[in-house]
Amino acid sequence: MLSIYKKELRTYFTTITGYGFLGFFTLITGYFFVSQNIVLANSNYNDTLAGSMIMFLILVPVLTMRLFAEETRQKTDQLLFSAPVSIQDIVGGKFLSALTLYVVGILITLIFPLTLSRFTQMDWGLTLVGLLGYFMMGACLISVGLFISILTDNQIVAAASTFAVVFLLLMMDNIASSAPISVTSSIVFILAIVLLISATIYNSTKNIFVSGIFVLLSLIFTGLIYLFKPTLFDGVIISSLGWFSVLNRFENFYMGIISVSDLVYYITFSLAFLYLSINVIEKRRWS
Amino acid sequence: MIEVKNLTKKFGPHTAVNNISFVVNDGEIVGFLGPNGAGKTTTMNMMTGFISSTEGSVKINGFDILENPIKAKQHLGYLPDVPPVYGDMTVSEYLHFVCDLKKVKKSDRNFMITDILNTTQLKDVKDRLIKNLSKGYRQRVGLAQALVGNPDVLILDEPTSGLDPKQIIEMRELIKKLGKKHTVILSSHILNEVSEICDKIIIINKGKIVSCQSTKELINLAGNSSQLVTIKGDPYLAIQKLKQWSLIKDVIINNDNQDGTYELKVIGDENSDIREIIFATMADATISILMLKPVTSSLEDIFLKIISGSYDAENDEELSIVFSDTLINEQENNKEANS
Repeated sequence: MLSIYKKELRTYFTTITGYGFLGFFTLITGYFFVSQNIVLANSNYNDTLAGSMIMFLILVPVLTMRLFAEETRQKTDQLLFSAPVSIQDIVGGKFLSALTLYVVGILITLIFPLTLSRFTQMDWGLTLVGLLGYFMMGACLISVGLFISILTDNQIVAAASTFAVVFLLLMMDNIASSAPISVTSSIVFILAIVLLISATIYNSTKNIFVSGIFVLLSLIFTGLIYLFKPTLFDGVIISSLGWFSVLNRFENFYMGIISVSDLVYYITFSLAFLYLSINVIEKRRWS
Repeated sequence: MIEVKNLTKKFGPHTAVNNISFVVNDGEIVGFLGPNGAGKTTTMNMMTGFISSTEGSVKINGFDILENPIKAKQHLGYLPDVPPVYGDMTVSEYLHFVCDLKKVKKSDRNFMITDILNTTQLKDVKDRLIKNLSKGYRQRVGLAQALVGNPDVLILDEPTSGLDPKQIIEMRELIKKLGKKHTVILSSHILNEVSEICDKIIIINKGKIVSCQSTKELINLAGNSSQLVTIKGDPYLAIQKLKQWSLIKDVIINNDNQDGTYELKVIGDENSDIREIIFATMADATISILMLKPVTSSLEDIFLKIISGSYDAENDEELSIVFSDTLINEQENNKEANS
């Protein structure tokens, strides 16, 4: 893992990516620092963090688009996958290198709260919890970007797709709040999800029987709930979409609350995408 | 040592590699030969664990590439068809990274890299960015990468493709040298190259092995029982004298050179060496031999025949049948040419 990690980190700094990332990161954070803290004479640095999250739209693709897409394009993946290292190590090393660059960005921008602390009474506890949430959220988005980078051999496609997905994740709250809450729409939503999952099952097992049974069981289960406790269907769309809202989870951190469920959420989210990445690579080898 | 057993790879309905089995012993150089799209690269990718097999197993020094990948890959150096180099690294940075990747001991690294730079003659360019190097140099960097960690088994996919003639010769010499210390498998679609370097040649077509034998056997298959003789003197006397031998089946005048010399084609019995007989006979008849050379169907001919033979043959047919078929075809062709 270490060899991949070192190589990726070095690539960031032998190309313009690393410097561009850090420069842009500092610039945008600086802008929000001025507008949120200095102009408004506000001592809460978390406002800067919350505001500057919009830059993830650009920065996450920059950080992750190259990771696997470039290896596939240059065919250097043949070197990595025929070397005595496991796929977990390769994915892990790449993820950690992107994460490291992100952490370096956070460390550099620490000059803003440090400057602030000279002129006002800062609540450092609040700020640190905010930074923790900020870090965790970045890690989630990076894992998503890494996953997307595996799916293509074109950096631009990877960057554009990552942009779109990060946009969706950041907008998820808005989308969820405008979603319908009626029971009928919830059932339609559940059916769509069931069909999607059964299609995935069919695609990976090529067994129509198994996916058919899955659809049947889900339908019976949904029907039973509908007959006996239809109130359970209220707002299913909102709550399920809300689960994907990484921004929503940041609110607790913003207020200085470390909740275990939020931590677990962020960690699970990142690990899930790393796991998916490893599996997609494995699957590609086997297909 | 490489053991490949019943290796099969299917891409959807398309079977790229079909039930291939062979063994490469330590210290052997084996050539993997076949037309484009025969399944060479797919087989090599499976042998190195880059892709998995649909069925069958590959063992490198006794370690299965899928069950025990890390151990198996430690004994493996692989040069894919496109050298897997990073353009934004210098040659020596790249080799250091590969050392790191293959977990070469830190204390051995500098020595090993210097050694590899020497063998692959990359010393002059070691501080240049790989993206600025020419194709030939990149190919050599790819080879250098495969040599890192001193693996027992080297798998080289078309190592000479894209090189200029001088570099091809150098690369061949290098591979020959490497073959003394490593087990080497190399693929190519150029027959001469393989026959020059390799001890054993595996010919593969449409995903199946159609021939697996030593280079000598393959060359013998070409046959040297017929000779082309240029003489100065009476051709009819020569024919008459030569035909007295039972080993000589037929003699024909191939060409009248119009200057008192004639080119005769002497067809001998199969697997017999008739050169001495020809010499002695001509000496008796005081006819001078100006030139004597075997009529070999070139290796290319054999290759093409084996390939087309396998193409015609039904899937279930054994190799030997394919072979005898091609031999018979060859003889018939010769006879037709003679008559």
